[in-house]
Amino acid sequence: MKKIKNWILILAGCVAAQAVSAQSRPPLSFELNYSIAQPLGSLKDYSDKTSFRGWNAGLQYMLNDRLSVGLRTGFQDYYERLPRAVYPDKQGDVSAVQSRTLQVIPIQATVGYAFTKAGSAVIPYGNLGIGAANMNYEKYWGEFVEKNNSWQFMVSPEIGINVPFGKYSPVMLNASVRYNYAPYKYQEITSYNSIQGNIGIKFHLN
Amino acid sequence: MKRTMLLLGTIAAVIAAMSFSGCRKDPLKDMTDEESRIYITNHDNNANFNSYNTFSIVDSVVVLSNRNDAAKKALTDYDKQLIASVKAAMQQRGYTLVDKSAKPDLGINLTRIDNSFTNVSWNPGWWSGPGYWDPGYWGYPGGGWWWPDYYVVYQVNEKQTAIDLFDLKNPKNDKFVAVWNSLWRGTGVWNINNVDTMVQASFAQSPYLTRNK
Repeated sequence: MKKIKNWILILAGCVAAQAVSAQSRPPLSFELNYSIAQPLGSLKDYSDKTSFRGWNAGLQYMLNDRLSVGLRTGFQDYYERLPRAVYPDKQGDVSAVQSRTLQVIPIQATVGYAFTKAGSAVIPYGNLGIGAANMNYEKYWGEFVEKNNSWQFMVSPEIGINVPFGKYSPVMLNASVRYNYAPYKYQEITSYNSIQGNIGIKFHLN
Repeated sequence: MKRTMLLLGTIAAVIAAMSFSGCRKDPLKDMTDEESRIYITNHDNNANFNSYNTFSIVDSVVVLSNRNDAAKKALTDYDKQLIASVKAAMQQRGYTLVDKSAKPDLGINLTRIDNSFTNVSWNPGWWSGPGYWDPGYWGYPGGGWWWPDYYVVYQVNEKQTAIDLFDLKNPKNDKFVAVWNSLWRGTGVWNINNVDTMVQASFAQSPYLTRNK
């Protein structure tokens, strides 16, 4: 009984907080970012090049001035072509130009916290995304592809800033740095690690 | 509300424009013919390549196709170039070319494969079926070919060229054992200008295939 009472109190708190935040910005927001990702660890050994082909988008709902929950997705493409080399394969040897690619599509639930009030000129924040990612591994041996597609758990902490275009403006510049980790194992890759820079726009929807 | 709809509309349009795979880099787009080719070599780990002295090579090339049951033997300019190039590579590795009537230690079969299907996995030496070299050619009528299971299974499509090196000295149960094989796949493997490069690459990645050690 006491537990239920506590839940009601928390819920009431949330509703009240939302009423307050409603005075600053509408609680629902959408963000869209361009992203650059640097592979780390074994992912770097597989495909060394920084990926300039990525984006992400998400919805966020402000529970109050500081706390938000949301959902996001995105895309990142890793690619590296290696000059011709001979790869031992069991008892055989294969001479090939390898084009090593990996496409990642995460779908994550997020929880975020703003470090300053909604009226600030710059709003630094932190958030954590937890969810799944589709890993599409395509390694080309010459023109012949070796493919593997799977889903993995993925966790992504992020810190960033929102810069409103004017006080309480519903439109803000978004810039952030995110770390991605997934216990993904396939061939050369023993785990998925990347650091990702995002820049884009965040709209509060009326 | 109108503004929201406008925003959502813009966002939807942007997302549609950047469809999930739309911004991925396509590895095949900027690939040259040379980069598209792969050379797969296999060998019998138990074979002692130093124990062979002489070799002989077929006088033409078998052309296999899954569109046509009747495999044929051919001797195009490409085939002549292939025979000459493999001969030269073997001699460079210290083996002596002899006539097939002189009981060579090693026999070399050459095969071109022209298949129109894709994504069919194959068994080791699958091409040694009907139309492949008759063991009678090597003085073994009624014999057969035996492929140890060291052959890695790849998928087959389009044109390929195979070089098969058999031990003629020690047949196993009336069958010649394949001791080395090279398979070429990709764009331009049937192009005469690429023959030397492909033969040299196949031998270069098989340093054990020599008498000079």
